[in-house]
Amino acid sequence: MQRLQAIAAEISRVGAIVGGAMLLIASIVICIDITLRYTISKTLGGADELSGYALAIASAWGLSTAVLTRSHIRIDTVYVRVKSRVRAALDLLSLAVLIFFFSLVTYYAWGVFKQSWTSDSHSLSEIQMPLIVPQGLWVAGLGFFVMVCVLLLARGLTAFLAGDFERLFALIGSKSAVAEAQEEVINVEKAFAQQREQERKP
Amino acid sequence: MTAAVSLITLLIILGSSIAVAAGMGLTGVLLNQFYSSMPMTRILGELTWSTTSNFILTAIPFYIMFGEILLRSGIAERMYSSLMQWLSWLPGGLMHSNIGACALFGSVSGSSVATAATIGVVAMGEIDKHKYNEPLFLGTLAAGGTLGILIPPSINMIIYGVMTDTSVPKLYLAGFLPGFILTVLFSLTVLIACIWKPHWGGNKIETSWEERIRTLPDLLPPLVLLAIVIGSIFYGVATATEAAAVGIVGALAITAWRGRLSLAMLRDVCEATVRTTAMVVAILIGAFFLNVIIQTIGLTQQLSRLITAYQLTPVQVLMAVIALYLILGTFMEELSMMISTIPITTPLMVQAGYDSVWYGILIVLLIQTAMISPPFGINLFVIQGIRGRGKLTDVEKGSAPFVIALLIMIAMICIWPEIVMWAPRMFG
Repeated sequence: MQRLQAIAAEISRVGAIVGGAMLLIASIVICIDITLRYTISKTLGGADELSGYALAIASAWGLSTAVLTRSHIRIDTVYVRVKSRVRAALDLLSLAVLIFFFSLVTYYAWGVFKQSWTSDSHSLSEIQMPLIVPQGLWVAGLGFFVMVCVLLLARGLTAFLAGDFERLFALIGSKSAVAEAQEEVINVEKAFAQQREQERKP
Repeated sequence: MTAAVSLITLLIILGSSIAVAAGMGLTGVLLNQFYSSMPMTRILGELTWSTTSNFILTAIPFYIMFGEILLRSGIAERMYSSLMQWLSWLPGGLMHSNIGACALFGSVSGSSVATAATIGVVAMGEIDKHKYNEPLFLGTLAAGGTLGILIPPSINMIIYGVMTDTSVPKLYLAGFLPGFILTVLFSLTVLIACIWKPHWGGNKIETSWEERIRTLPDLLPPLVLLAIVIGSIFYGVATATEAAAVGIVGALAITAWRGRLSLAMLRDVCEATVRTTAMVVAILIGAFFLNVIIQTIGLTQQLSRLITAYQLTPVQVLMAVIALYLILGTFMEELSMMISTIPITTPLMVQAGYDSVWYGILIVLLIQTAMISPPFGINLFVIQGIRGRGKLTDVEKGSAPFVIALLIMIAMICIWPEIVMWAPRMFG
């Protein structure tokens, strides 16, 4: 199962990078669009529509990265004040509810996709995007997220039954706000170190 | 009755540490089961698609990405050393540079945590070098960082704008003057503290006019980016969302000019952006769904009737709302606090006669206060994390005077709403 999770982590990492790249490209296209609009009063058309799709796809695929890095926000006022057995149970419960709600979302999202498929819907704009393309990638990201959650729940349950709470917390525990802040700091320090590295290069 | 049950359900679910996004969704599903005959869960697919593919919302990842690029562009360090030359003659020395740098960085960053972390990392080494009063120095960074969401651009204002149907450019316009006044108030706080206790202000720092002039160009990149992003919104060249895209390209240009553009850097930017975006969007999906359910079961109307029944005056409603956020802010994570409450409090405030733009700025100020009030204040943790020594209480102690400054600011906009409203009225 550990191998499976490593594969899932790699897939979501790639998903996140591709999603981010789509957003980056979208922003460049928007800039070109604005420039054209104000110089020769023409637009490429559909730049905003495409960035909307980029957001939907990127955020669907980013959900799994977020759950694997335990970044989904939870309120831990009570959480930090209870025994580790209860805390472990709350972690499992949180994941179960995440699966419940996003299974619903994915199920109905699939309905949206199927509808576009059967009626061969295109967007009402000049680019006339066949909606199944962005919606397909979107619903796939949502489905992948639910699968990753199920995998994590299975691993968490095994750890729970084995009484290995430390392993469970490492997998699905709520990250304390302090740890969250620490990560932000590490992120900044890493960025600064990278800059110095670059500056040293001739 | 429905109102009480709904709020208690939400509180219990979120209180038991269920992921906020799913917790709000679950509350929506449950309320729908109990109080409505329409199976509203069916709209989840369409709602999620239309929400997440909404062009206005792409402003969220765009501003996050903008910040992630700026972080790696090297402008923060140079900006700081220049401000050191310009501001450190004041009693309190570098602490003014901290606040100034936060305000300037906040004017290109839409996030308070990112602002505090970036300026914090740059400034932290100076405490020992110049023998400052450590708590107060840390306080300037934690508090200064909160300016990130008040001075436009602001991720929180975009979320507020989208959720309450308020114009984001108007919110941006409205944020400028309070942002400026608050920066001055923060600096005044340092000034008063250091006139009262001169040894808190650390050693004198050598500055010269020559150095000042020489480092002046280092202040330009953030100012140019600010001018491009905000200017294009106000001159109607671009919408608030498009302006964020312009910012990204501008930040990339500066990074490239500084010789810091690389594939590895872009990959990190993409990954970090998507992770944060997904986390925010997940909460938004839960919140939008819950919002629809709340409307179909008539919860807001119930609350308004309650206000009428008790004959609460607008001022009393305002006081109650401020008290609510000050209490919630001590223990709740700031973003989830905002997203889970504004669908309920905004209609109440608007009904009581307050402008939604004005209320948006009030909310931002209250969130800023929450970010530096113990025991739960994300900026306190960020600054303590950078410091990596001593106790969190030092940061809490040092931030306390700035909490007072924030409360004064809140009182000011309540007494003189024009501080917030004149700019959107003038230009909006």
